[in-house]
Formats: sequence, C-alpha cells, structure tokens
Amino acid sequence: MIRLSRRAAVAGAFATISAPAALRAQTLRKTSVGVLRLSSSGPVFIAAERGYWREAGLDVELKFFTAAQQVPVAVTSGDAEFGVTGLTASFFNLAGKGALKIIASQSREAKGFPLVAYMVTNAAYDKGFRSVRDFAGKRVGITTTGSTFHYELGLLAKKYGFELSSVTLVPLQTLPNMQAAFKGGQVDAILAPVTLARALTADNSGKVLAWAGDETPWQLGALFTSPRAIAERRDLVERFVRGYLRGTADFNAAFNQRDAAGKEVHGTNFAETIGVVARAVQQSPELVAVGLPFVDALGRLDVGDIYNQIAFWQQAGLVGRDVNGREIVDLSFVRGHLNVPKS
Amino acid sequence: MRLVCESVGHKYGALDVLDGIGLTVADGECLAVVGPSGCGKSTLLGIMGGLVEPTAGRVFVEGAAPAGSLNPITYVFQDFALLPWRSVASNVALALEHHPLDAQVLAARVDDALARTGLREFRDAFPKQLSGGMRQRVGIARALAVAPAVLLMDEPLSALDAQTRELLMEDFLALWLAARTTSVYVTHNLHEALRLADRICVLSRRPGRIKQIVGVGVPQADRALPAAARAMAELAEQLWHAVRAEAVDAEREVADG
Amino acid sequence: MADRRPVPFRGGGFSPIPVRHAAAIGFAVLLALWEFAVRHGLVSPLFLPAPTTVVAALGDLWTAGTLWQHVSESLVRLIGGWCLGTLAGLAAGLAMGVWSLGRAVGVPLVSALFPIPKISLLPLLILWLGIGEASKIATIALGVFFPTVIATYSAIDAVPRNLIRMAQSFGLPARDVLRKIVLPGALPGILAGFRISTSIALILLVSAEMIGAQYGIGAFVLQAGNLMLTDQLLAGVLLISLLGLAIGTGLTQLERRLLRWR
Repeated sequence: MIRLSRRAAVAGAFATISAPAALRAQTLRKTSVGVLRLSSSGPVFIAAERGYWREAGLDVELKFFTAAQQVPVAVTSGDAEFGVTGLTASFFNLAGKGALKIIASQSREAKGFPLVAYMVTNAAYDKGFRSVRDFAGKRVGITTTGSTFHYELGLLAKKYGFELSSVTLVPLQTLPNMQAAFKGGQVDAILAPVTLARALTADNSGKVLAWAGDETPWQLGALFTSPRAIAERRDLVERFVRGYLRGTADFNAAFNQRDAAGKEVHGTNFAETIGVVARAVQQSPELVAVGLPFVDALGRLDVGDIYNQIAFWQQAGLVGRDVNGREIVDLSFVRGHLNVPKS
Repeated sequence: MRLVCESVGHKYGALDVLDGIGLTVADGECLAVVGPSGCGKSTLLGIMGGLVEPTAGRVFVEGAAPAGSLNPITYVFQDFALLPWRSVASNVALALEHHPLDAQVLAARVDDALARTGLREFRDAFPKQLSGGMRQRVGIARALAVAPAVLLMDEPLSALDAQTRELLMEDFLALWLAARTTSVYVTHNLHEALRLADRICVLSRRPGRIKQIVGVGVPQADRALPAAARAMAELAEQLWHAVRAEAVDAEREVADG
Repeated sequence: MADRRPVPFRGGGFSPIPVRHAAAIGFAVLLALWEFAVRHGLVSPLFLPAPTTVVAALGDLWTAGTLWQHVSESLVRLIGGWCLGTLAGLAAGLAMGVWSLGRAVGVPLVSALFPIPKISLLPLLILWLGIGEASKIATIALGVFFPTVIATYSAIDAVPRNLIRMAQSFGLPARDVLRKIVLPGALPGILAGFRISTSIALILLVSAEMIGAQYGIGAFVLQAGNLMLTDQLLAGVLLISLLGLAIGTGLTQLERRLLRWR
C-alpha cells in the first residue's frame, strides 16, 4: 500500500543487526487506522511511509474509506482502532454514546489556508450578494445537514450577526449535485472545497467571496480512538500518538511554512513529502499542493472550538443534549492543548 | 350463400402447407374436411375465413347473405376463444356491440342465441365457472347471434371429452338441421364427419391436396337408423382406408425428421 | 391370509397449509427478542436501537408536528412521479406491444436505459429541472417508467393471439380489438407491474429527496443517516415500509376488484 521510503529501509536494516527480521516483526504490535484519501490525513501517510510507527513498535494497517462518516463508524464497530477525519454532527452523536474519544488534532481551518470557499453565483453576485455579510435570505447549497459546511456557516452567522435560520440551507448530498445546482443557478451560493472552487472560478461560473479559514478558524479534524482502547491498551495508544505526532511535525514543517508577509514557502523536504501524500491520495503532486490544510505540528486541539461545535449542534437539535464535550475529548495524550476552557 | 376456393395454396416460408385446393361449398351444405394432423386443415379454414392470407389462389363467396346476417362468415374455435373477463351474455354480445343495433335488439339477439344453446341460466357466469362443453356452447351462441351465412368450425369438439362430444354433436345437428347454414366443419374425427356432413373432403398429408371428396348419401336425420347402418359402415371403411394411408405416411415423415 | 399387512401411508407434507396468526406471532416473538437483546445490553443500542426506541422516535416526530409534513411532501412526490412514469410507461409499452416499429425501436432503447442508476443522473436532473419538486418527481417518474414499459408490452404479448383473431373474425375494428381484447387481457400483467413500479418509486424516494429536500421521509432518513441517529433512521425506514405495505394492500384490493374473473 505504502512503499517503504529509503529512510524506513535504513531503519529496517539497522534493526536486522540487533535481531533477526522475523523475530523483530513479531514484536511489532498490530493496530489499524481509518483514513480518507485526503491530504488532511497527510500526517498518517507520512508516519506510515517513514516508519515512525514501526520505530514506536507498531505495525499499523491503513484502512481507507470514502466518506467522512464511515471513519467514526468503523472505529465504533471495531473495524479500525484509530480514525482521523473531519468533525461532524454525526461524529458527536457517535462519540456521545460513549463510542469515541478525541486524542489529537488533524487539520484546522486557519488564516492563510484556502480550503473551503464561500462561492456565489454570478447572478447572485450581480444582484448584490458580494460579501460574506449578505447570507441572510439566500439559498445556500451544502452537502448535508450536520456537515462541516453547515458548521462553518454557523460560525459565519455568529461572526457577522445574522440569523442562520434566515439562510435556506439546501442539502444536496454530493459535490457533483452541488456543482450542478450552482451552475444551474438553483442556489445563490455554496461552500466549495478548494478544488471545486478553482474549477468553478476557472470556467467563470461564480466568484469566491472569502475562504473559511480566513473568516472563521476552527478545529476541522481530529485523531480519535475508542474509550476501550484507552482503558485497555493505553501504551499502544501512546505509541500510536507518538508516531502520529512525528507525522504532524513533518507535515507542518514541509507544508505550513509562511514568510513574514504570509506568503507560502516550501518547507523542509517539501518535494519528497508531497510525493508521499500524493501517492497516498492518488493524485498528482501539483493538485495536492493546491489544497494543503494547516496541521498543528504538535497535534494540539482547539478544545474550546470543539465544545463550541457540540453546543452549536445541540442548539440546532442535531446532537443530543446529553452529549458532553469533557467526556469526548481526552487531553492526556498531547501536551499544551489550545484554548482549553477553564472548568 | 356459396363459398368457392380457387386453387388455394399456402406456404409458411419454405414449408408447403396447402397446394391447389379447388372447392365449392354449396348453399346450405355442410362440408367436412378431414385429414392427418399437419395437413393444413385449419390453415384452409383460416383462409376461408379471411384470417390467414393465402400465398396462392383466392376464396370467394357467391350469393346474398340472409337478411339480418351481421357477420356473413363466422367462426367457431377449437379452444372456444372466450374472453375470460366477460360473462357468458357479454361474450355473446361482443360479436354484436360494434354493429349499429338498438340496445333492445342487441339484448334480444343475445337472449335468443342463449336460449337456442340452453345457456339462459348461465348468462351471468364467467367462462372459468363453466365446463368445457358449456364453454363451446357459448362459442356457438356467439356465432348464432350474428346470423352467419357461412359457418366455419375448426375442430369445435376436439378439446372435449368423449361424452360431452356426443352430446354437443347432437345439439349441433339439431341446430344445423333447423337453420341449414352453409358450413365447413374441420375435424380429424371421422365419426363426427360422418354424422354431420353432406360431403366429406379428405386432404392428403402435407402439402395438403384434395385426395377425395365423398358424398354421404343418407340424410343426416336418418344416419343413426338401423337401416342406414350398413351403408354408413361401408362409407366409414372407405374413408378410413383413404385417411389411414396418409396418416401412416405422415407419421413416418415426422419420425424421419 | 396370514401374511396380511396394512399399506402404510407415505404421502402428505410438502404442501404448506395456512396457519392462523402464525405470521403475527412470529413477528411479535422476533420483536420481543430484539427488545430483550437491546435492553439487556446484548446488542448496543447504537448498532440496533430497540423497537420501543424506534417507535418513540416516531412519536417524537408526531408530537413535533413534522411527521405529517414529511409524509405529505413525500406522498406528493410519490404520487406525482408514479402517475407520470406510469402514464408515459403505459403509452410507450402499448406502442411497443402492438406496433412492430415501436417494438423494434423501443426494446433496445429500454434495454440500454433501464439499468442506468437514476441516482447517477441526479446532477443532470438538477441542471435540467432545478432542485425544486420537478427534479424529484422526475427521478421517481424515470424509475417507474421503464419497468412499466416492460410490464405493459410483456402483458400485451401474453394476451392470447387467438382472442385477437376471434375478435377479427367477428369484424371488430382495430380500435375495439385494442379496447376490448388487448387492454383487458393485458390488465393482470400491467397490475403486476404496478407492484414493482410502486416499490421502485418508494426505493427512489430517498434518492429523489437527496436533491435539496428539507422535508420528506427520504430526506428524514438521509439526515438521520448522515447524523448517525440510528433510532430516527429506523423510524424513517419503518415509515417507508408501512407506506409500502399500505400500497401493496391497496393494489391487492384493486386486483380483487378488477380481476374478479380470474
């Protein structure tokens, strides 16, 4: 699945000096992680390819899924021990039933990282829909109720003081449906992932008003596992996080560097690292380079935002009132989490 | 009304079914057509009734149809051909509905046909509730309702059991003797032919040609009398001899593939 | 005779006879087992919510007043889509059933277009018809159209040809042959097709309501699935199968009335 890099091969070669390969392989503890083929899962691909988990004593199998909802379900059902993916209302519903715990961060919407665009159709733009303040009374296409797009609009509503209920959210399930509805002018705006946003601007179907990262930074994704794994195999979880954090550090060092003016600069090992991610997501390195998200080097979570997400979904009636943020997040695996509310 | 076939032939693709049939059915005559299976008896009847297009020759009718005849050439089918979703009376009415008739006239014609076939008390029954014999009575009633000038009957009794066949044959005879409608009666059963027909036409095996036409000298009403027994037996023997030769050959042909 | 034995009975069996209330009892036992398993922690309620929880979720919908809104919006789409697809399907099926050219053109077309998953056409339908009711109704109509075409022309094929010849032998005009022989003869097959097409309409309801529907049973099921609210998900599924049961019962009644002669 992931070819061994030179470095991993070297590490393996050293290992054979101290012990026979077969014996060495036996001592590796098997575990698995559910991921999507998206660049936001880059730290996982990097840790796997560069042997960071092997060095932590783990044999990690990557299990690929095609939709964000499937990953937490797979961890709940025991098909994968760990999972990394974006946080949605569905995630909190599963976590609230005691099935999942967040232990580290994945990607984050952050200033200067264009991941999701607020796009308006040309017709809506001509009629005066020219700012992210103008969402009230408009029809906005999203994938599903309870998706990350839904939350991003909620954050925007809060920031600019309009009522989210004044916006007609049109759930269209898939990106192709959203694209069709946008091009056909059946919605005034959509929230478009960067690749879709670029395609729509390239053929002049609409205009980007702003990027979600610039407007409303938030904790988009997380690494999570089951409470049972933490209780019964804490050592394995710690080793997994150790390897994962080397991945986040590499990812951040390679992709998230900015100069004094805020311009993107290629960081450490940029080309090789992008190759690792590109192979895993099965896209060209050029395409991957366009949509690289921000990943905290130390895997720290914006804990306050996660609590806020839960509160937002609860207010919308999409997540049960009994779901408690404190029981969902385990802060003990990563040091120095950000924005931790004082209890 | 007379029915005339002029060198009628029929081919299904390369298969020669009928060849050079020249035949006249006189006014008021009942002609039986017999022959081995597959000799084209039913095809001939189909051509006479305008349901099958001949590939050679033509069929004509001559003379005026009797007054009140709505469908001069009328069929009675082997499998009855009743509409299962219509009641007995309604099946009979089907033959009349598309003619410009007053509702009362139509009802009277249906009633009369049902009465003549003894179906009055079954008028509201559906075909599936009737026995085979009763169903064919409906088929006959439907044909009588249009007052046919020529009646074409395609093995009308062969789907019935032996006793029912005898009973229906008697009814047939009575109806025919009362009306003397020009009729062609196709059958593979010599007994039926001998009982009903004025003349019997024997077809050869495929391609069907006229092998022999035999007149039955004895009037239908007298054929069951002891006095006629000898003549009838001789005729039966003669006919069987003719049909048997064809049937044996046809059988061999089928066996040879 | 000394060596006299009764002939033992060795027939019987292999012909199921109806057992009264067995279905209801079997169903009740299954539900009770299910409820028991969830209550006693044998099955996680997340994986399989208890029947009572599902009914409670349905009750919540009722008290919130949205149940009728979901059902009525779905019914509009179902009825609209089904009627449209059925009328078009009957017309096309009739043309293919009685007209050689229609058959020659239609059969390969139907074979080519029937297997297309209608869900994959959603983006196109959105472009053509927008995200309002039209595209939802069209999704269902498309799904209903093809099986109706096939059922109709097969049913016409199944009308015994001798009945048609009979009608011709009595001089019925073509219009009457169609009206009095072909259509009533094809009715059983067409009605059997209705069973399939109504089921397909229900199946496609969820797909149809993927297109920007805020209300509707399909939209509700989708949202429950997206949110991992398994009790609501099953409540929605229960609604759909109840609807299916109601339609099936209605069709049985219709068949009993129209096909009394069978």
